[in-house]
Amino acid sequence: MLRYLIKRLLGLAPTLIIVAVLVFLCVHLLPGDPARLAAGPDAPPETVELVRKDLGLDRSIPEQFLRFISGAVRGDFGKSIRTRRLVSAEIAERFWPTFWLTFWSMAWSVTVGLAIGTVAAVWRNRWPDRIGMVFAISGISFPAFALGMVLMEIFAVQLGWLPALGAESWKHYILPSLTLGAAVAAIMARFTRSSFVEILQEDYVRTARAKGLSEPVVVIKHALRNALIPVVTMMGLQFGFLLGGSIVVEKVFNWPGMGRLLVDAVEMRDYPVIQASVLLFSLEFIVINLIVDLLYGFINPTIRYK
Amino acid sequence: MVKSELMPKKLRFTAARIAISFALVSPAVAKDVVMAVDSTFTTMDPYDANDTLSQAVAKSFYEGLFGFDKDMNVINVLSEGYDVSADGLVYTVKLRMGVKFHDGTDFKADAVKASLDRATNPENKLRRYALFSNIDQTGVVDDYTVRFTLKKPFSAFINVLAHPAAVMISPVAIAKYGKDLRDHPVGTGPFKFIEWRQTDYLKVEKFGGYWKPGYPKVDGIVWKPVVDNNTRTAILQTGEAHFAFRMPPEQIALLKTKPGLEVITGPSLSQRYLSMNVRQKPFDNPKVRAAVNYAINKEALAKVAFAGYAVPSDGVIPAKMEFFQKMGPWPYDVAKAKQLLAEAGYPNGFETELWSAYNHSTAQKAIQFLQQQLNQVGIKVKLTALEAGQRVEKVESAPNPDTAPVRMYYTGWSSSTGEADWAIRPLLAGDSAPPKLFNTAYYRNENVDRAIAGALNTRDPAEKARYYKEVQEQVWKDAPWAFLVTENLLYVRNRKLSGVSVMPDGNFHFEEMELKE
Repeated sequence: MLRYLIKRLLGLAPTLIIVAVLVFLCVHLLPGDPARLAAGPDAPPETVELVRKDLGLDRSIPEQFLRFISGAVRGDFGKSIRTRRLVSAEIAERFWPTFWLTFWSMAWSVTVGLAIGTVAAVWRNRWPDRIGMVFAISGISFPAFALGMVLMEIFAVQLGWLPALGAESWKHYILPSLTLGAAVAAIMARFTRSSFVEILQEDYVRTARAKGLSEPVVVIKHALRNALIPVVTMMGLQFGFLLGGSIVVEKVFNWPGMGRLLVDAVEMRDYPVIQASVLLFSLEFIVINLIVDLLYGFINPTIRYK
Repeated sequence: MVKSELMPKKLRFTAARIAISFALVSPAVAKDVVMAVDSTFTTMDPYDANDTLSQAVAKSFYEGLFGFDKDMNVINVLSEGYDVSADGLVYTVKLRMGVKFHDGTDFKADAVKASLDRATNPENKLRRYALFSNIDQTGVVDDYTVRFTLKKPFSAFINVLAHPAAVMISPVAIAKYGKDLRDHPVGTGPFKFIEWRQTDYLKVEKFGGYWKPGYPKVDGIVWKPVVDNNTRTAILQTGEAHFAFRMPPEQIALLKTKPGLEVITGPSLSQRYLSMNVRQKPFDNPKVRAAVNYAINKEALAKVAFAGYAVPSDGVIPAKMEFFQKMGPWPYDVAKAKQLLAEAGYPNGFETELWSAYNHSTAQKAIQFLQQQLNQVGIKVKLTALEAGQRVEKVESAPNPDTAPVRMYYTGWSSSTGEADWAIRPLLAGDSAPPKLFNTAYYRNENVDRAIAGALNTRDPAEKARYYKEVQEQVWKDAPWAFLVTENLLYVRNRKLSGVSVMPDGNFHFEEMELKE
């Protein structure tokens, strides 16, 4: 197990280097001159040249690449073109709001999704299933920005119970995490249901019932654990995806997170910020996948790591 | 990092989350004024800012020697007047006495010198370098007198000193913070800088030692960048913001029905036009350009794309600009447009491309309307709304004027100095073509170029007015643009808040800001 972990962690480095190379190339292929954009709409050419020099964009591409890689290895991603602040500071400021928003969205949506999915599978094709799936389909189909605006209109504007924007207190987390988690809850419910329905037809479930176990024990102890494997995989993917920062939800609720940072950065061709954010997203995905793989072992001890 | 300590608190509140529907948001203690604006600030160093918004916010803590009043007239701020030498090269400015910086330093001539020497030194690589590059030297005459020596005469020099970039910074702070000055602004303004959390807010609080007695009248301001239009509308209604700028025209009807809110509209310096590349067929023919102007119903454009919050352009520069010459608006006459096209040899029209410098929804509506209007006279245009990077690549960086791909180009301009020279020269002077500046029509007329230079070099207002009249008449006649509309400013204010307004150039005026209980 420990050897497996070390091996996986060692595998991290080459993946990240490949991502770094790809990101660097893609970013520099984007049309548009960052110096011109950073200098602003009414800057004369002398100013643009000053800005270009200041940003190190007057150097050759290979030279810029070497500077980027050697900096990245030391954890130095340079300065943002847009704000001229350290990229690491920019990202650190935005990472935690996105992380906690993702965490709370996942927390409620996984709980609710699992519950709805389980209920739907156990009472398959009867009314609890139908009602649950109506919610699930609505959750998937209703676009996040519309849901966000509706929730804001009801709970902030009309009722005045909750603040509409900001990330200062726990109250600020409610509306955005409801919005962000709705689709995830729906996906989790669908996934749990289909995985559960399959498991409930397995021989060992019939055996468990045959030996006289009560239905709750059969469902929770025997079926749920096995049904969880694909669900956990999906959970990991969703978590990684949400950590990238939901652009829509962050825009609607003015959330100071990663999604908006990345959009602003792409708009302004802020190379250092784009590169560092994408590297961070890749790292997050790899780490989450690793955690998911390890979780398999806890859920189903028959899975072995080699 | 700050958010991490939220965790234990949040755990405790998990139970409370369920019961949330019964919770009430405690009304914010309304001592600070919350100002919601539509995009994030880039820097708190006005000399390094290229956006009006960052400079507007910086006016909470910074002031210049001169400034603009609500009607864009130049007024004394930290100065008490100036003299110009006969050759127009030396400006002597008297400073206001008894002014202190937030760090306790006295405001004297050395502060002026330190601030402007920093701006004129190319080593500092400041984005507003070009604005001040005409200053040869800033000299201290005595504690309260400074002398600016220019490289060449420049009649609009006081407007440069009144520009929101030209602020006075504490010389102690310049020495102490160096490159980090952007995060530690120390000025003479009515408010002290407290904290800036990039995406969240920027906070300032009342400066007790402000030189103007009785000011400011509020305890502090929270500047909040809120990028989403609907969200700005929502927080005005919830009371989370007292003021919001800019507001999209489509939300105005709803906000007008709210008794606690006041919708304000006024003229701006922001004009929209359609430039035509005069180096390329068919736009080399003045008749074609005139036909395009006749083909567009500007009244309807203002209604369709700007929900009525724009007025048809009646000249080359916005009507609120000094030296404006009224010429129009250009009449809408489809028959005349068709006749001119026929005379120019295009009886059945032609096909061309129309690019937009912006891809937001208002611009999309505008170019679709233009497409439909031009179609009526047989001009078939293919629309492309350029995203910022594409715009820079395809239009602003086009290296060779002869092969520049731009044809019809929907764009706009707002003179950041509030002054006619910067509204005309970058857009219409012969040598302002991209990549240098923004003459996207590639227009060149000797009379215009001579008059622009003449106006810059004279100090006689009457002569200057004559030059600008000549420029505007010639440009209107040659019509390198289709002159479209001047936008109206649109902002919303809580009725408890008074004394805040947006100036025609998009800067804020908030000296008299007051909040009723």
